[in-house]
Amino acid sequence: MKKLILVLAAFVLHGSARSQSSPPPIVLSPAIPSDVKVTAKTVSIDAFQPDFDVYSWNTFIALNWPAEPNGNADLNQKIGAKSDNDTVWEHYRDVRDVFLPGGKRPTWNGPSEAPPVPVKGYKKGMPVITQIGKTPTLLTDASQPFNTGPLIDQNGYYTRFQILINKSMFDYILNNSLYSKAGQKVFTTPVNFTCGSLASSKKPEVEGAIMVKSSWKVIDPSEKSHFHSEEVVVCSPPEKEGEKPICELKTMGLVGLHIAHKTTSASQWLWSTFEHIDNAPTDADVKSGNLKARYNYYNPKCDAKDCPANQIPPRPWVPAAVSSFHSQVVRNDMFNLPIYESSAKARNADAWALLGSVNPNSVWKNYELISTMWPTNPGNCAAVPGDPLCNPAPTFMANTTLETYLQKSNPPQPNVSSQCIECHNNATTTAARPSDFTYILQRAQ
Amino acid sequence: MTPTPGSAPEAVVQDFADMSAALTGFLSSVLKPSLDPVGLARIYYEFALKQVGETNMSNVLSAFRVIKTQPPQTIADTLLEVNKSDPSPQANIVQSIVAMWYLGAWYRPGVKGSGGFGPTPLQVVSSQAYTNGLVWKVMQSHPMGFSPLTFGYWSQEPGPLSTFGVNTGNGGGQ
Amino acid sequence: MSADTPQQYDVVIVGAGVSGNTIAWQLGKAGKKVLILEAGVAVPDSREDYMENFYLALAKTPESPYPSIAERKSTPKGDITIADPAKLPTPRATVLGLGKGPDQSYLVQLLPTGKNAAPDQNGNVRGLQFSSTYERIGGGTSWHWLGTSLRELENDLQMKTKYGVFEDWPVTYPEMQGLWAQAEQAIGVAASTVQQEPLEGVGLKFPPGYQYPMGPIPISLVDQTISTAIAGMQVPGMLDGDGDPTMYDVFVTPTPQGRNSEPYQDRRVCAGNTNCIPICPIQAKWDPTVTLGQALDTGNVTVSYQSVAVNVAVEGLNATRIDYLVWSSDANGNITKEQKFVSAKIYVLAAHAIENAKLLLLSNNKDGICNTSKQVGCNLMDHVLYLTWALIDPNDNPIWGYRGPLATAGIESLRDGAFRKHRSSFRMEIGNEGWNFPSGDPYTTTMDFIQGTNNAQLNGKNQRLGGLALVQQLNSVLTRQFRIGVMFDQAALPQNRVTLDEKYTDALGIPRPHIDYGLDPYTMEGFRVAADVCSKIYERMGATEFTRTSVGQTGDFTYKGKDYHYYGAGHVMGTHRMGTDPDKSVVDASQRSHDVPNLWVVGSGSFPTACTANPTLTLMGLAFKSAKSILAALAY
Repeated sequence: MKKLILVLAAFVLHGSARSQSSPPPIVLSPAIPSDVKVTAKTVSIDAFQPDFDVYSWNTFIALNWPAEPNGNADLNQKIGAKSDNDTVWEHYRDVRDVFLPGGKRPTWNGPSEAPPVPVKGYKKGMPVITQIGKTPTLLTDASQPFNTGPLIDQNGYYTRFQILINKSMFDYILNNSLYSKAGQKVFTTPVNFTCGSLASSKKPEVEGAIMVKSSWKVIDPSEKSHFHSEEVVVCSPPEKEGEKPICELKTMGLVGLHIAHKTTSASQWLWSTFEHIDNAPTDADVKSGNLKARYNYYNPKCDAKDCPANQIPPRPWVPAAVSSFHSQVVRNDMFNLPIYESSAKARNADAWALLGSVNPNSVWKNYELISTMWPTNPGNCAAVPGDPLCNPAPTFMANTTLETYLQKSNPPQPNVSSQCIECHNNATTTAARPSDFTYILQRAQ
Repeated sequence: MTPTPGSAPEAVVQDFADMSAALTGFLSSVLKPSLDPVGLARIYYEFALKQVGETNMSNVLSAFRVIKTQPPQTIADTLLEVNKSDPSPQANIVQSIVAMWYLGAWYRPGVKGSGGFGPTPLQVVSSQAYTNGLVWKVMQSHPMGFSPLTFGYWSQEPGPLSTFGVNTGNGGGQ
Repeated sequence: MSADTPQQYDVVIVGAGVSGNTIAWQLGKAGKKVLILEAGVAVPDSREDYMENFYLALAKTPESPYPSIAERKSTPKGDITIADPAKLPTPRATVLGLGKGPDQSYLVQLLPTGKNAAPDQNGNVRGLQFSSTYERIGGGTSWHWLGTSLRELENDLQMKTKYGVFEDWPVTYPEMQGLWAQAEQAIGVAASTVQQEPLEGVGLKFPPGYQYPMGPIPISLVDQTISTAIAGMQVPGMLDGDGDPTMYDVFVTPTPQGRNSEPYQDRRVCAGNTNCIPICPIQAKWDPTVTLGQALDTGNVTVSYQSVAVNVAVEGLNATRIDYLVWSSDANGNITKEQKFVSAKIYVLAAHAIENAKLLLLSNNKDGICNTSKQVGCNLMDHVLYLTWALIDPNDNPIWGYRGPLATAGIESLRDGAFRKHRSSFRMEIGNEGWNFPSGDPYTTTMDFIQGTNNAQLNGKNQRLGGLALVQQLNSVLTRQFRIGVMFDQAALPQNRVTLDEKYTDALGIPRPHIDYGLDPYTMEGFRVAADVCSKIYERMGATEFTRTSVGQTGDFTYKGKDYHYYGAGHVMGTHRMGTDPDKSVVDASQRSHDVPNLWVVGSGSFPTACTANPTLTLMGLAFKSAKSILAALAY
């Protein structure tokens, strides 16, 4: 019993825990959870994982809640009530507006950086997406050695990526001048973003740092009912060095969402990942032939010989052009315990029922939680840096749109296979100091 | 396919972990934490069981249970027969269990090295076994090929041995 | 025979390693169409596959991550099964194959006799084994280079003029300075010229104001401990007093390294995985796949993998085509091959010093090409490696090995001096990885204290330990282990050579390299001096030396009554030496063949002397020079 209390003390208990025998319900609420609420009665991964998956769905719902023009959640609206909606997280600051040329001081609310070339139909404030790989690179850098390779959809279009951060994370960067190389050079104390914490009798609730990475696919307007979509300016590097980038207005559908949140229970952050339900089949689906008619990133009519799975497209990579190579993605099973899949499946069912109760045509029913990665040995969030030897669960986790080529069928490989915390532990500032599990500080100029 | 964990009873795996803690000098809560995403104790138990067979494993665990309340060093010295000039086959098996925790590989009981090098193991149990090897903690470092540390750490001294999970106290391997 | 795809290539390059990828990148950038023929398998999409091989390898050798891999389970006798090179399409030299017969060793060499080889009447020790290894895969051998990116010294390039021995290089130091700068930029070398200033005295000079691309990698505690202990130390140039009365300063210098001290080329900063050899898990250390990626990004470079060049056809003065075999292998290891050929305006052999020589000797129906000088395959050199190791006194503070990159500093101050008239020079690499290299630690010592053996020599009482006692004993010794590796600029001897073996082939039917090798008094005298310097260093540190000689395997020899054991450094040089005289050299200063003007033969095989720096930076610099000369030739 003593051990249980000690372990649970590391995770903040929700007040009504004692009266519940199952994890707290997923709720339709715009309130972003400041931390996980642990209701588990025994100390085991099986008991804890559902609480984290509930936290992930509550976070997803809150972040995707309809937003007012100022970015606050619109309390008069419900998520998906009009099928789709503009979201809270899309008002977070895109990192390309944080790490400006010349290390210029950014603003939270100022106008977004305009596209680098004039674009027909562009309206001020429209999102501009410039990332073609998971790792951000400068738009003008024509030779981009993507570490993880581009993801090309079944129509030959490159998948696009964005990274955005919430106000808490932005403020820390601003107040510590971490938005420039010069500022990072003189910042010698450890980078330590704010830990989210639930309200207590002593302290009010603190949201904590949140970073969101989204992946987008070009869609036809007729597909809008199946995706959360945005009108977006998409920019590609020029085909030849020295030429101008190529930017176009496109309708993009969300296909993947990574949410990382630093909380008191997790100095190594909590990592939630969601995917569009039509992205790719699993290994098991392919083996059994239980395939859908269409996927975003898989052609069910092409066999393994002609379309080997999870291959990086051949170079050169020309995002501006329509590619003849289409990525054939399969979701590899990276979990070593059954609970991860079963918990995600159960929480997905609950969430979809809830979302459907608002509107049966909610686009948000097209998204599923893959899993939530959390440190089983979190340590003290106030002390930095978070020890990466925090024994995370699950041991490996991947989003097929974001870690396509880092998947591996069993067994995955330590330090190289998709392990959020271990990889992000290598993240540093431009001055090579640890940057608290985020790579965005490397973008500083 | 997600592998289903093996069928060995939890209590037996716990005994194996507690015994291993005494044998290796580490805390049982390090070898088998209550929140255990990797499940190394179970993986090692089942691997060793396959190598040595039910009878041998059962005998080893029985010998442990008889003395499990003794101080950990006594447990280790007894099961490893450190004072005998020629260890018994059972002690050789216990040696291989220690080696497996330390090095992540199964060494054939009683097979020794020569020519300036140690014996070649039968196999590395798994890549996670390699990266969780205890010998790297014993030297206050990290496995070669797997560093959770950050740039420049090598110009500073490491933290004390006690921060690496070693059982430096006198309490039983818990 | 069938032609390759109908594209017209400007240049065909054999080999996707450092030189091949660098040249391909430069040519592709300039709009030239390039085909790379790579004998081995493609670069994997993620280094997961290679990491898995490494983690599961029974012996963590340099080749352990790379295909073809040794068995992951040992035989009941405890042997690791490695495939017979005769059954492999692209076998290569491996550490596991050293000292073995042709059924395990790709290079066909005399087997060690088990006795220490003694000098003959000329003072030479013949019949020794060449101990360096290499890879034949996309990305090449430098997947597992350490990252050491030293520049040569002024006198390295002018040994004949300065010391009357060997040859001068046909390139000047100022020209090399420009080429090194290009290579340092391409790799991302972390160093500081300020830290290198003390070496001006031995002829390491930088153009004024030169800046490395990144700041230096911090030195390790091992470096710091040694550096403190040898403060003020001096040693004579020669042991017996004649030839060089100078006393030389002995001091530690941080090593310029090709690993990131800040984010560079979208690659992570070094996290001290202590695994540079055989593989950096996070690619903080540059490897040739980075440059290959840049080459492919130009849109003008194609790579054909599993394509083994077997003949360079030469008609008159011109190379007219390369014949090659495209191989594939099924699940049972059955090899099928298809014959192809490709033509281009210019051809480049960048397949590694031994493979280049092999291909040149094989061409033209085994009559050989480019060999008016008769030097193809000759002058095979390595930086012969003398490994010494020691233990800090148990009462002193630990030295904290097994941490950081494999090497972060060395003793470079003994690399030049009048003694070079009489004996080989050397640099001393300080290892950060304890006794991993010499003893296979921590495995050997751990098993010693568990099983009561004494293989690593630290368990003289044959203790068997467990529990905290085991922890404390292992902690005490493992944190006090360290090693110094000394590398010699071995003499270039025509009789150290690569030829085509008459009997043994690979699975494609291609003759394997036959090696004749040995050491000469010039080189061995260097050993003698270095052994003394190391012992003196350990004495000043109060450390106990544990260096073993007479290992009873390949690499043992006796010189002036003392036994030594050498290893290979993996620096294979000399087999197609460059020079100005076509009667005495194979290629010119741009690595262009004297005999066949549209054929370039590139890599460390072009080095006329071994010099004192690890070769990768220099060979990459020379590749930039070659690329420039190829572009000039294409424009002509």
